[in-house]
Amino acid sequence: MKNFRKRSKPISVMLTVFMLVLSLPYQSAMAALIGTEDLISSQRATEARATITRVLAREDIQQLLMARGIDPIEAQARVRVLTDQEAIRMAETMENLPAGGVIGYIVGLAVLVFLVLLITDLLGYTDIFPFVKKTVNE
Amino acid sequence: MALFFWGCAGHLSRQWVLPTTDTPDRHTISTVPFFPQTDFQCGPASLAMTLVWSGVSTNPEQLTPIVYTPSVKGSLQPAMIAATRRNARLAYVISSPQELLQEVAAGHPVIVLQNLGLSWAPVWHYGVVIGYDLDAKRVVMHSGETESTTTKLRVFTNTWSRSEYWGLLTLAPGQLPVTASEVPYLQAVLGLEKAEKWPQVVLCYQAAIQKWPASFAAHMGVGNAHYAMGYLQAAEHAFNLALARFPNEGAAYNNLAQVLYEQGKIKAALIAAEQAVRLGGPLIDSFQETLREIEQLSE
Repeated sequence: MKNFRKRSKPISVMLTVFMLVLSLPYQSAMAALIGTEDLISSQRATEARATITRVLAREDIQQLLMARGIDPIEAQARVRVLTDQEAIRMAETMENLPAGGVIGYIVGLAVLVFLVLLITDLLGYTDIFPFVKKTVNE
Repeated sequence: MALFFWGCAGHLSRQWVLPTTDTPDRHTISTVPFFPQTDFQCGPASLAMTLVWSGVSTNPEQLTPIVYTPSVKGSLQPAMIAATRRNARLAYVISSPQELLQEVAAGHPVIVLQNLGLSWAPVWHYGVVIGYDLDAKRVVMHSGETESTTTKLRVFTNTWSRSEYWGLLTLAPGQLPVTASEVPYLQAVLGLEKAEKWPQVVLCYQAAIQKWPASFAAHMGVGNAHYAMGYLQAAEHAFNLALARFPNEGAAYNNLAQVLYEQGKIKAALIAAEQAVRLGGPLIDSFQETLREIEQLSE
């Protein structure tokens, strides 16, 4: 039962508040609480950005980017303005590459080129892969 | 992503290397009960085996309505996961031979999805891996109508790789997959939240705190779950614990404010809500709303 401290207010007001709180469905009472799902999403986004930054900092990736006329520092700037959802999706795509993901491993050139093209697609430099969803500016 | 084919199966020995020096060459779990499948019900049979192993009182007949989809004459993976959660067990998906070895070595049976047919005429099948022997190059499974059947590793890899090595653990709350990392584990617990299995959710987040003491989300998860059950004092305690370890997290102050308010501790609630707003951050709009609501309702 909810206990409310006695206040010098008319009984009817207290009753109204009391009934209001009691009648609130579970969902709207929870509205004031920051849900665990949001906290986990925000953590995923932070980790995703770290993953992307790490991959972009690889020397082999940077060389391939520069060979395509893309300034790696510019690329990092684009990463910074990704939304949480975009960052998560980008990191997930990078991690789900064939051969179990490339993060931290020495990979063959074919995979490397694929990864670079994926990155340039995700950051909007190129439009090669149909499966990369481009954000529509609203 | 079918653009590049690296040959899913790859070279056998490269995938089935022992993941750590502690992983034994062979291990079989003896505590997994066997339920023979009937007709197309390999899904319910497999799930019954691991659920009963994890302490649930059930059987394939009870699971069939919530797992089996008659129109496809089979059980879809999301349904297997949902049924696990509805039985108050943690559903954790793995996707590699390494993880399979480690989990089985730790005593956790794994439901695997195999294609026993051809790629253009697939025959999808669920079985339960209960053991392996890397020297003999075999896995041990409860599968179909056979208890403890052994399969050659090469054959198993070929059939299992077609599901991209999909495997499912069904664990009692508080038990961690040995291969779990923090965020995938927390997301698995979110699944139990959706199923509203709050007592189990608390145990799962508490286990997460033990393993990852720096996990703010796990700390908050405990508090939020207590709140969902109406245990306001326990929620208050959990949020205070979170603040002791994470003093600059506005979300903890925000949620603390809410449970303080609902217990009638108005002054303390206002202080906490104000502190959340002061700390700000990306959730500041929510913090301000909480503060406003408490201020309004306490006038």
